[in-house]
Amino acid sequence: MFANNTTQDTAQQVLKVVGISLPEAPAKLQALATTDARYLKDLKINVTNALEAGTLEKKEAYLLGLAVAVNEKIPVLQQGLEQLALAAGATDKEVADVVSCTSLMNANNVYYRFRHFVNKEFYTTAPAGIRMSIMANPVIGKEFFELVSLVVSALNGCEMCVTSHEEALLKHGTGEQRILDAVRLGAVIKSLGVLL
Amino acid sequence: MKNAVLSVGAEFPAFAKKAVVSIEKGKEFYDITSEEIKGSGKWMVMFWWPKDFTFVCPTEIAEFNKHYQDFADRDAILIGASTDSEFVHLAWRKDHEDLRGLQFPMLADTSKSLAAELGILEAEEKIAYRATFVVDPNGIVRWTSVYDLSVGRNVKEVLRVMDALQTDELCPCNWQKGEATLNA
Repeated sequence: MFANNTTQDTAQQVLKVVGISLPEAPAKLQALATTDARYLKDLKINVTNALEAGTLEKKEAYLLGLAVAVNEKIPVLQQGLEQLALAAGATDKEVADVVSCTSLMNANNVYYRFRHFVNKEFYTTAPAGIRMSIMANPVIGKEFFELVSLVVSALNGCEMCVTSHEEALLKHGTGEQRILDAVRLGAVIKSLGVLL
Repeated sequence: MKNAVLSVGAEFPAFAKKAVVSIEKGKEFYDITSEEIKGSGKWMVMFWWPKDFTFVCPTEIAEFNKHYQDFADRDAILIGASTDSEFVHLAWRKDHEDLRGLQFPMLADTSKSLAAELGILEAEEKIAYRATFVVDPNGIVRWTSVYDLSVGRNVKEVLRVMDALQTDELCPCNWQKGEATLNA
């Protein structure tokens, strides 16, 4: 009477949550489904809860997920989350802004991490020499741009970027809960990404 | 009447009740026992409503049904219950569009013995309040909520409670200095 549904279904369900529809789950996910891994349910709950965080609008949650997909170079995830973001009211320009922000952060995360690691006067006082004009007036708004920057920086492990963007967000009046929800979303979508 | 609602830490009472599990002829009824649930090694979420064929109820029940899979993912058996008989349950399920596709059993506490043991009977009509019980695999009540007859529930809150109860943080990187080590 109280038998479980199979993890095969769970694999498809977790894909659906991020807008992916494939006839067969990707190999690593499939391997977990085949061995009936308990983890699949945890993963599904984590992804669902992260996307439904109370401090993030649906559109924002999908756009943050999209940034993770771009950063982790997972086309199928990028496509799925982009569709969900558009369906939740995002515009093409906003999607483009998130993709741009993620790309720019990939430059900054490497560059500023170097400065932070070495911590010598010449490197830290010389002009950056990287154009960042999209930061001036982003379509997605400055606060959300900061939030995307923070999540991507957390993924890429740049301490200086993470601390700076977190402080910038607090100055924007962003609550700590929203910051934490965004970073959790980034972390959890990445954990799904490694199985795709 | 003094209500002593069964609360956190108490053992959920043993029961054997008829339940409606389908509207298909010949497959309508099932005998649910606390023993079978305990034997399954799963959690149990039992939610009560006052009366079949009333207005707030189907909305709320349909909402629980919408999240049936979310409870299953959390290794929980979902059971709906009221003091109506199994025949009333069946008639209501057949009658109401939102209830035909229910995936969880509707338990019939016709004798009101379980509702009485749980301490959730309303004094005048002897019908159940909108109570929700979360019971762990050892049969211990881990969460109780009781709403008055007219107040609807938030199903997502029940899921949030389950996530918290099922301890989502076992990673040693979260240990605080001086804290006892984790026994999981």
